[in-house]
Amino acid sequence: MTFAWLIRRLLLMLYTIVIVGVLVFAITQALPADAAQTLLGENASQEALAAVRARLGLNDPVWLQFVDWATRAVVGDFGVSMRTGLPVAPEMLTALSRSLLLAVCALIVTVAVAVPLGIFAALGQGRLADTVTSVVAYLGVSLPEFVTATLLALLFTDRLPWLPATGYVSPLEDVGSAIGHLVLPVLTVSMILVAHVMRMMRSETLDVLQSDYVRAARLKGLPEHMVLARHVLRNAMLPVITIIALDVGYLLGGIIVIEEIFAIPGIGRALMIAITTRDLPSIQAGAVIMAVTYALSNTAADIVYALLDRRIRYD
Amino acid sequence: MIPALAIENYGLDYVTPAGPVAVLRDISLEIAAGQVLGLVGESGSGKSSLAWALMRHLPRNAREVSGSLRLGDVDLQKLTPKQLTEVRGRRIGMVFQDPSTALNPTLTIGRQVTEALQRHRGLRPREANALAIELLGHVELRDPAGIMRRYPHEISGGEKQRVVIATAFGCRPDVILFDEPTTALDVITGARILDLFARLRAETKVAALYISHDLAMVTRVADRVAVIRYGRVVEQAGGSEIFRAPRTAETKALVASVPRPERRLVNDKPNETVLLAASRIDVHYGDRGLFRVAPPPATHAIDLTIRAGEILGLVGESGSGKSSIARALTGLARFSGDIFYAGRTLHSGQDMNAAYRRDVQIVFQHPDSSLNPRQRIGEILSRPLKLYGGNPADISRLLDQVRLPAAYAQRFPHQLSGGEKQRVAIARAFAARPKLVICDEITAPLDVSVQAQIIDLLLALRAETGAAYLFITHDLNLIRQIAHRIAVMRRGGLVDCLPVEDFDADHVHPYTSELMAASPVPVG
Amino acid sequence: MIELLIRLMRRPQGAIGLALLMLLAAVCLLGPWLAPYAPEKMDFLGRFRAPGWQNWLGADQFGRDVMSRLLVGARATIPMALAATLIGTAAGAMIGTASAYLGGRLDEIIMRTIDAVMAIPGLLMALLLVSTLGNGAGNAVLAIAVAFTPSMSRVTRAVALNVRHQDYVKAAVARGEGAAWIIIREMLPNVMGPIVIETTIRVSFAIMLFATLSFLGLGAQPPASEWGLMVAEARQYMHQAPWVLIAPSAAIALAAIGFNLVGDGLRDALNPRDER
Repeated sequence: MTFAWLIRRLLLMLYTIVIVGVLVFAITQALPADAAQTLLGENASQEALAAVRARLGLNDPVWLQFVDWATRAVVGDFGVSMRTGLPVAPEMLTALSRSLLLAVCALIVTVAVAVPLGIFAALGQGRLADTVTSVVAYLGVSLPEFVTATLLALLFTDRLPWLPATGYVSPLEDVGSAIGHLVLPVLTVSMILVAHVMRMMRSETLDVLQSDYVRAARLKGLPEHMVLARHVLRNAMLPVITIIALDVGYLLGGIIVIEEIFAIPGIGRALMIAITTRDLPSIQAGAVIMAVTYALSNTAADIVYALLDRRIRYD
Repeated sequence: MIPALAIENYGLDYVTPAGPVAVLRDISLEIAAGQVLGLVGESGSGKSSLAWALMRHLPRNAREVSGSLRLGDVDLQKLTPKQLTEVRGRRIGMVFQDPSTALNPTLTIGRQVTEALQRHRGLRPREANALAIELLGHVELRDPAGIMRRYPHEISGGEKQRVVIATAFGCRPDVILFDEPTTALDVITGARILDLFARLRAETKVAALYISHDLAMVTRVADRVAVIRYGRVVEQAGGSEIFRAPRTAETKALVASVPRPERRLVNDKPNETVLLAASRIDVHYGDRGLFRVAPPPATHAIDLTIRAGEILGLVGESGSGKSSIARALTGLARFSGDIFYAGRTLHSGQDMNAAYRRDVQIVFQHPDSSLNPRQRIGEILSRPLKLYGGNPADISRLLDQVRLPAAYAQRFPHQLSGGEKQRVAIARAFAARPKLVICDEITAPLDVSVQAQIIDLLLALRAETGAAYLFITHDLNLIRQIAHRIAVMRRGGLVDCLPVEDFDADHVHPYTSELMAASPVPVG
Repeated sequence: MIELLIRLMRRPQGAIGLALLMLLAAVCLLGPWLAPYAPEKMDFLGRFRAPGWQNWLGADQFGRDVMSRLLVGARATIPMALAATLIGTAAGAMIGTASAYLGGRLDEIIMRTIDAVMAIPGLLMALLLVSTLGNGAGNAVLAIAVAFTPSMSRVTRAVALNVRHQDYVKAAVARGEGAAWIIIREMLPNVMGPIVIETTIRVSFAIMLFATLSFLGLGAQPPASEWGLMVAEARQYMHQAPWVLIAPSAAIALAAIGFNLVGDGLRDALNPRDER
């Protein structure tokens, strides 16, 4: 991995963040003919509309609005919530931290379950275990998160009342209760991610198993366990990082629904509340923060992958 | 004395959805200790399947229907998986066709060599390391210790193949199987590998099964040669004998197809009028990306002239730029320089008018990608006819000209064989009644016998229409049979451009002599 | 075409998928006539009735027959998802093909920008658009179409580039054919196959995305019997009447699986021909 490559990759991330900013701003503020009207609804009085326009600077030309917004956003000032009157950014970041806890737990569970399952399925290709896992994976990918979440909630809180249905407890307060509240959401998210990651791991491992170099290793007379450990697993594990990075994006989308259903005050829920109450600054902040998180995780994944894979020197 | 390898009446099927397909039948071969047996066959003959059968690495749908495989005193078919891992590598080794995929890209070279040595020669890591360095030096690799630390992508194809050979020989097996070890390499690199093989074989007295499609090459390295066709061995004889005195009809046909430079197929002299002259051609690929600089030109100021009705051969190894010239002349690649044709000067692809594009046609290398898979043959041929003012009803005549049945017009490309697809591509080129046809390695992916037929066809078409050819190839023997003049390219530059009669004189460029020495001329 | 269908049905995945799709098509076309009750018909005596001969799939909190709502709701779910996918594919195909054809720096800029746009996850993009355009099924369709455009343009570009580099396209260029002829006659027929496969699989995502939007209250609005909306409404009562929840969930799953299977089956069916 050369220095030039690293610089290029970071510049790309910067470009991504800029485009995200432009897009979020364009959709939420520039697109509506009268954003104030959209925010307040049809029955708003003229004075209220004028007040909102003044407060949000909607009377200025669009490009000026954008520059104004962008320069403040860069330093983390997304304005003040129209609903609560409090600064948006700190709230959103706190919400993000809760979501990250959920996300990280889900990723750990996913990797721990899906990677071995995927490899296992590939090793037993065509046999019963493989077919079963493939079918289950297929189902997992074909169910929207809200369906899985609701069904799981039905199962675990109604039929087998083991877990609290909704709510969130910070681990800083009470670890046991926190874990109890996290189990269902993490389980839901993980189920879908596992299905997805497992399919990819299986296909990657199959590719490695059928490669010429694994064949060459076998024909050199190496015992099977050595072929698996030294040649198959090493190479099959390499794309795991890329797969995980791709799933972070999916995770962020799914988190919105999961937090809605399980009433977890993370960034997804905050975004939904912002959308339903038409709190423009919060919507903008939430969207930008989510997208930037995705861009950061992708960049990190690319860098880690480049460090591990010696063949990547250029783009 | 027990033979090192004894195959007796061996038969193999692959079970497909359409029923069992016979891959090998009644194969009986023997290799005595220290002997080299060459196995020659065209694609689909089953020769590689025999190697996989010997290594016990058959696909899941393989069924052995008869016969026995014995490695010395060991019955290969009766080995348990555990016993197999002890026999593979230690008693029977293998060198593969494509060295770049036979090595694990994420492990160092050293690791991949020492793991075999540790396994089969019971060495401790440090001893294995030392032995590995010694072996790599023995196969003429420079800086063996450095190579041990590198990864496969950091060394060249020829070097990788030497590593694989060193590993195979290092385990001191009784027999080594070589599955087309030089096919994926350049001509000169391949020749050097062959020399290495001869030397190692003489030193270690290992027995070998050398599989190839190239009869000429095999006769140089093997004591005995067996010819295999459609899964059966049609003839076995000593190396030189099989060329001098083939007995069966199939072998005779195979021998007759092998290009031999002394057998000229073209005996006329073209006239002196210059048809096309290219001057100082630099071919440029790749635009500047957002962050990348443009790559250097693929060719350096190439000058070429082609006379009316002549066959000009353009020879070079991969990366020499010969295909780039073809693309420049047909406007498929950007170039700087001039092309003089029919009284006009062309500075770029834009200057090529309809008349030029009609007169200068190209036939591509890969039959699979040169015909649109969604169009029928008739449609593919009717387009150039319409474009160049021919009669669409001439399709049957065109197909007839390339010796294909008129009914093929209704077929799709995937229903034709590789050789037939190339004929259609040639017909497409001749639909325009061209003055110059550029053939860009058109016979490289084809079997030798099919190649001979295509060459025959090209010469017949030339006799009919008087077209000139720019024949691009890496096969020097082939081009010496048909060309009037030969140009040799190397790394983007023109090294030689001589009449064919002057080709074995001493005033060729050293690179050209190297190329000539590396092109195997069959003994006998 | 017929040959393709036959080859599709040879594999079990393809056959099952095709069967599911035909079922869906039948329900979409004939739903209202097949439904035993009117979907809005409330029956307060039959509230939360368990599945039985009167209501095959049970009744919801207003006594409405679940199966009837499901059958009619297919029209609110599937055609919307199809429309969104087709619009997204069309838009993506134009961008992707243009980018592939232009090549060079322009292509790289366009693709980097598309990558940046994809940093906003699909659901988030759809949510942002709906929050601006307003709630409702039509806006949801538009939002999903826009959310799909970047990824479809990536796919199209990859396929177009692959085809562009084939020798038969080069042969056409060498003949001096015009750009339009090359794109339409040489490239397009070969690009269609992979695009159709990708589009079919995307429909299953669109179904799930559309249902999700409705679930969140931003897509179809009550009293429509869109399947996602049905799940949302059923949540409150899931302890009393789980069938009200399970039926639309299963319907969504089956629809998504059907399109997925057919997409995968098409991929297998289109392949062996090239291998020969």
